[in-house]
Amino acid sequence: MISRKLEDWITERYDIKGLGRLLRAKYVPSHCLDASYFTGGLTLFLFIVQFLTGMGLALYYVPHSEYAYKSIVDIMTKLNMGWFFRSLHHWGAQLAIASLFVHFFANLLLKAYRKPRELLWVTGFIMIIVLVFFGLSGYFLIWDQRAFTAIRVATGGAGNLPLIGGPIKVFLRGGIDVTQETLTRFYALHVAILPMISLIIIGLHVLLVQVHGMSVPVSQKDKQGQPQPFFPNVFYKDLIIWFLATGIIVTLAVLLPAGIGTKADPMAPAPENIKPEWYFLFVFQTLKLFPGQMAGFNGETIAMTVISLSVLFVLLVPFLDKRSSAGKPSLAYTCIGVFYLLYFVAMTIIGFLN
Amino acid sequence: MMRGSFIVGIVLFWIITLFTHVEAISRDVAASPYQRYIVYQALILFWIGIIGLVIIIIMKLKEVKRIQDMDVHKEDEDAPFLD
Amino acid sequence: MKLDHSLVTRRTFLNTLFGGWLAAIASGGLYAFLKFVFPTAGKEPDFVVLNRADFLDIPGNTVKMFAWGGKPGFFLKRDDGTTLAVKGVCTHMECNISYQPDVKKFYCACHKGWFDDNGRNIAGPPPKPLERFDIVITGQKLVIAKKGAKVDLPKA
Repeated sequence: MISRKLEDWITERYDIKGLGRLLRAKYVPSHCLDASYFTGGLTLFLFIVQFLTGMGLALYYVPHSEYAYKSIVDIMTKLNMGWFFRSLHHWGAQLAIASLFVHFFANLLLKAYRKPRELLWVTGFIMIIVLVFFGLSGYFLIWDQRAFTAIRVATGGAGNLPLIGGPIKVFLRGGIDVTQETLTRFYALHVAILPMISLIIIGLHVLLVQVHGMSVPVSQKDKQGQPQPFFPNVFYKDLIIWFLATGIIVTLAVLLPAGIGTKADPMAPAPENIKPEWYFLFVFQTLKLFPGQMAGFNGETIAMTVISLSVLFVLLVPFLDKRSSAGKPSLAYTCIGVFYLLYFVAMTIIGFLN
Repeated sequence: MMRGSFIVGIVLFWIITLFTHVEAISRDVAASPYQRYIVYQALILFWIGIIGLVIIIIMKLKEVKRIQDMDVHKEDEDAPFLD
Repeated sequence: MKLDHSLVTRRTFLNTLFGGWLAAIASGGLYAFLKFVFPTAGKEPDFVVLNRADFLDIPGNTVKMFAWGGKPGFFLKRDDGTTLAVKGVCTHMECNISYQPDVKKFYCACHKGWFDDNGRNIAGPPPKPLERFDIVITGQKLVIAKKGAKVDLPKA
């Protein structure tokens, strides 16, 4: 039999049995909060979906301001199954971002970042930034009026940062305004630079998880049940979640296919009631809280500085939270985590309703 | 076992494609009620496939637990995979 | 019903069912993805309609090019007034060819292939003669058609 021969061929050359032993030796703690362990696997799976559907779409997309819009219309109307794979990419992105946020907040509240997992936290933080840029650049590629306006607003907003704002804005736009140069840049980011970075960072992240094992929350240390073998028990549970996630994005793609507005016209007035994608709504709402002028400074600049510092604080949490790292409950950082979560949820909902 | 899976896979695949003829679904033609009907039918069959997979995995998990509870795999490095 | 002995264990049965079910769903997805990735291929035209006066009135021993889909086609008028229409693509590696009036041959520069004024491959690597087209003159139109293709002119 061919499969038997192939197996022999490989085992003669590589220690597959050793790999199997490694898999069987991997145990996952079980306690009443262990559901949070599945959020990372789900995010990874959705990333794989994005890579696969993205490879298909990249075969047809034309990154030129004259043809980008038309190539997307062609994908949606002329190509076999084109509407399906673009919608899958669209909904896969929404779910990947949602799943990453859940993963992030779960680990923030359960203090999974504490010693010795600081570098895991740093790689995860980089992935959030990468994913936000993925979303921003992918949204822009469809080159319709909404996307065009949104990118002008978003890159302009980054331009409000003190000192580094100007250079960042020029870097993102590839010039002083949103033009073909911007499209080329965002295309390069979306299909070449960000995928490369995410492969490296995700690889490192997953490797570090294997090195450290799963983190057990401080409160559950003494209430653990029998650890479960990763393979097959936990792996099959992961599979169930992945299949259900596939079901959800396919259903969304079929029932609510991704749309496209009118072609972008740099001279046209901005569309009525424009809103950013849902994962930017909290930034959008925060900006609204600040008045135009504050103590002689530009309100936008202050707002962007406050937002950037709060995001930077998240990166530094494992290094600041000494109590968690010592294995003690850390009420202050639980409160901070709850505040971040509530703020994010509340601002997103307010943004939706407005 | 590989050959068994292969045959089951091919049979199921052809049953599914015969029922759905996926290639007919395209955005601009899906406007007609008949095409919409095919899209919904494909979606329902797809969900039957997903739920079937989930059920099989749950059955497999139970089977794995049953064997693990018999404690036969412990202290046996060369035991076959409990997949 | 419970059997005392069976050749198939519960585990093997479940594994086979799982593998098969997974393979079926995966191949369904793969099938759709391949349909997406391999576009419906366009095809070469069956015939092209040209203006008769542009082509029949050229001097002897010259060629005039026409577009055959995305590739060049050559309309040749020999010294004795007879004509020939061929696809201007070498049969060896699909390079575009050119007509050399001084030797009255078609020449492919890629690998030095030669075709005579009937499109036959006479020297170099080309394995087959050039593809010859039918020339049909209807009224003021010159129709160049694939051999054996049915020509349906739109009613003007």
